[in-house]
Amino acid sequence: MTSVTIRRPTDWTGIIFAVVLTLVIVLPLVVVGTWAFTNVWRFPALIPQEFGLRFWNQTLARADVWSSITMSLTLATTVTFLSALVCLPAAYAFARLDFPGRNILFFSFLAGHAFPKFGLLVAIAGIFLQLNLIGTFWGVVLIQLVGTLLFMIWIPVAAFQSVDRRMEEAARDVGASPMRVFWSITLPQAGPTIAAAILLSFVGTFYETEGAWLIGAPQVRTLPVLMISFINNQPVIQYGAVLSVLLWVPSFIALLFARRVVNSGSFARGFGG
Amino acid sequence: MTAIDAGQPVLAAPERRRPIGLLLVAVPVLLVIWLIIWPIISAVIQTVWVKTPEGGNSFSVETYRFFFSDGYSLSNLSITLWTTGVCAILLLVVCLPIALYLRFSDSKVAAYVQGLAIFPMFVPSIILSFAFIRVLGPNGTVDLVFNAVGLPKIRSPYLTPWGPVIGLVWDNIPLTVLILLSGLGNVSNQAIEAARDVGAGKLALLWHIILPRISNSVLVAISFAVLGIFSAFTLPYVLGPAAPEMMGPFMQRTFRELFEPQTAITQAVITFGFCIVFGLFYVRSVARNQAP
Repeated sequence: MTSVTIRRPTDWTGIIFAVVLTLVIVLPLVVVGTWAFTNVWRFPALIPQEFGLRFWNQTLARADVWSSITMSLTLATTVTFLSALVCLPAAYAFARLDFPGRNILFFSFLAGHAFPKFGLLVAIAGIFLQLNLIGTFWGVVLIQLVGTLLFMIWIPVAAFQSVDRRMEEAARDVGASPMRVFWSITLPQAGPTIAAAILLSFVGTFYETEGAWLIGAPQVRTLPVLMISFINNQPVIQYGAVLSVLLWVPSFIALLFARRVVNSGSFARGFGG
Repeated sequence: MTAIDAGQPVLAAPERRRPIGLLLVAVPVLLVIWLIIWPIISAVIQTVWVKTPEGGNSFSVETYRFFFSDGYSLSNLSITLWTTGVCAILLLVVCLPIALYLRFSDSKVAAYVQGLAIFPMFVPSIILSFAFIRVLGPNGTVDLVFNAVGLPKIRSPYLTPWGPVIGLVWDNIPLTVLILLSGLGNVSNQAIEAARDVGAGKLALLWHIILPRISNSVLVAISFAVLGIFSAFTLPYVLGPAAPEMMGPFMQRTFRELFEPQTAITQAVITFGFCIVFGLFYVRSVARNQAP
């Protein structure tokens, strides 16, 4: 066997893109990360005078930080749970059952995406004003729940449709009950994709800022909302930096799990590409 | 819900119509009707069918006339249109070369570039705002570096109209690249090679072969960006100037700080009007790709 080695020309275009994107996308985040582990950094030093964890202790000792972490986690858990509860049966129905108006109802979830989001939120807030839901926990839950509907239905529909129907029929032929088939055949195959949808919905809700700010503030203060007030009114830079690092954790987890999904072509097609 | 469907033979086909499906999808569908479709209809009705001093209701476009005659509202609208336009152009200028490079390169560097281009999707815009201020704000990293090499301080884009532009472009790079890349997947290598064989240069290739084939993806990417940017809230609120402000912060302030929901809803309907073409085009494209 002979092996042929092809010498590639150096990919200069790629190297230029890589350098520019590293500077523009990675560097700003590295700066924030550095600030989070800095005790003293005075102008005009290029690197901090003193590194340390002093501000982690101070940030984590703040009551407003803990209350907003609790609020964010409670909200995201409640919204994701309710979303799964109402959307997964609906997704199963869209994927497997035929009923009047199926197609138009399936596409009705796109309605919200034809309008600029914040304008829509203001229109919803107008309704909430009459219902006294402004400034309440459940008002924020409702507005964030609506934001999760599209993905929590469309992604699981694709998952249920990709389950091998012949395996289900084979199980039914040997006498398995419909529940048993669903539990032992359908769910294990559709499960990973559904879990990804649930994770994305949790992370998306965790970072949802606009609805929480418009409907909830100042009574319902989530972590991103607290971050806005830190940016606007907090002279100690490190508080914001530490909070940024804490805030990024769910996104980092999503990054680990979702990269493969995002890089696949079907993801871009879901956005109309 | 009726248990017996009188109109249809019960065992006609394996894919028989079962109204039980309607029951399963009822809750999310009702949520969409209550919290998306009804608010939009109600917003339009509420702003044109206003209470008269005599206690009745009558048709009136007074709130819209106020908006379009108020200098401050108009300057907010024009800064929004300017920001949206500049961002859309910048996004194409930045993302089309990246997408073209990724489509036609298979080197190891390309994988790294793709990873970086998608990375902003995993950075919440509130963290981005903070990072922006630390890098481009007063005494930020750029100032530090310029100072170290003896250059004067920059005129920071923070709290100017360029602040939101930079932030929004950064934020929208991943999906724009992905949508364009997905469109470039439809350009076959044969078409490119055939054009090269007859001597087409790189620019001619781009103009005559590639762009016509991805024009739909370009429009989808622009529509998606316009919908997101026109009523963006967080980045303009944190990075932009206090006045004039973009429609997102303007609506928020009108609603929550000035307590004028009627005026805020009028502003919302105006943003709907400006985006409706992009919205319908975008939704149509998504729907075409997702037939169940």
